[in-house]
Amino acid sequence: MTSENGKPEIILQARDVTLARGGVTLLDGVSADISRGRITLLLGHNGAGKTLLLSALHGIIECDRGRIEGPQLARQKMVFQKPIITRRTTAAHLRFLCPDLDDGQLMNWLARAGMEKRANAPARMLSGGEQQRLALIGALAAKPDILFLDEPTAHLDFAATSFVEKMIREAHGAGTTIVMTSHNRAQAERLGEDVIFIDGGRIVETTSAGNFFRAPRHELAKQYLAHL
Amino acid sequence: MDILTPFTIAIGLLTSGDPELMGIIGLSLSVSLTAVLTSLVIGLPLGALLASYRFPGRTALIVISNTFLGMPPVVIGLLIYLLISRAGPLGFMGILYTPAAMMLAQTVLVLPISIALSRQAFETLNGEYAPLFQSLGLGQLARIRALVFEARVAMITIALACFGRAISEVGAVMIVGGNIRHSTRVMTTSIALATSMGELAFAMALGVVLLLVALTVNIGTQLVRHSFRNLGHDV
Repeated sequence: MTSENGKPEIILQARDVTLARGGVTLLDGVSADISRGRITLLLGHNGAGKTLLLSALHGIIECDRGRIEGPQLARQKMVFQKPIITRRTTAAHLRFLCPDLDDGQLMNWLARAGMEKRANAPARMLSGGEQQRLALIGALAAKPDILFLDEPTAHLDFAATSFVEKMIREAHGAGTTIVMTSHNRAQAERLGEDVIFIDGGRIVETTSAGNFFRAPRHELAKQYLAHL
Repeated sequence: MDILTPFTIAIGLLTSGDPELMGIIGLSLSVSLTAVLTSLVIGLPLGALLASYRFPGRTALIVISNTFLGMPPVVIGLLIYLLISRAGPLGFMGILYTPAAMMLAQTVLVLPISIALSRQAFETLNGEYAPLFQSLGLGQLARIRALVFEARVAMITIALACFGRAISEVGAVMIVGGNIRHSTRVMTTSIALATSMGELAFAMALGVVLLLVALTVNIGTQLVRHSFRNLGHDV
């Protein structure tokens, strides 16, 4: 999606975001623009600050300095790397995530995730893949403007990964802006449109996914891709 | 006294269905269960609040609550007595030497347990759920409601701890209840009375009955807990 002057419309903007804990700077003056309707990948090594930046952009952690402007929290959703599942049934958990769903919509979403027969099963007894699918439909059912995904397919098998990617594409097709982290290069190349490469809490390179994977500019990015 | 005598008397008392004993057991249960329920209604949201939020006076509240954990029941009984005696600030209620006074005393007695244990349970749950609650944009009330709901299995353990303290308490209920026959006499005060009258076998038998009542309540709650576990809500 582009604005009237032909430039991508910015849906979320971070300026000089800085965060330190225990004397260690974890995010160091991060500034980034997230384009509306695009899939933006936050890439970097373990400990680079991806999850922290994702959480900061989502607004669930308070930063020491800087500002983040974007849609109100109610219009954003986040799926955590390890899904946080309540001690309820699958259907009750989905309703907790999305209280506005009526019974028909709720069962419809469960059916889309292939979990309609698990509606009355305790959500915490679901497999890791099922819990991730549940978390994802819980986020998508709210039709958010922005969806944050923290390594949404980590530890998932091929079928579960395919489902998650299919849902991401559908949401993207419906206009949802997606910001996600991933350590899976093939997946990153399949899904990514924009890339923000981060190292040591600083943004090293911001470019299109095509440019990043084909010809990264920064030496750190080249080293990262060599090991991805 | 033969070691088996109290058990023989206890079984005899229970099987005879003595109306006075049944009345005492009923009053003991109703006073203690009401106190436990009241302490949970007040203590659980307070525990959730203390676990989830930092606010001025929070530490003072925790210190006061923890101090009350070690407060002798007799002192609590005395405090309640001073509050509800005719000259006291709550004297107009006219509840001294009534079961209501005993419920009040036991509630004050078990409330710190309810707060301390629930705070501990909620801190664990809050650590787990805080990112999700923040992401969902839950307000303070909604967050506390969700935490209380998530802690429902832990609440059974908290309720049991409170019940154990309440049903076995004697000093406070003796002071504010007066141990009046057919009115405020409960199991523990009956035991104290029988002991003071030298009827040791009978006192011991009442003790056995009290233990059996507590055992029954424990078995019931454990069954509820197991059914929760079987349903996967205690994972």
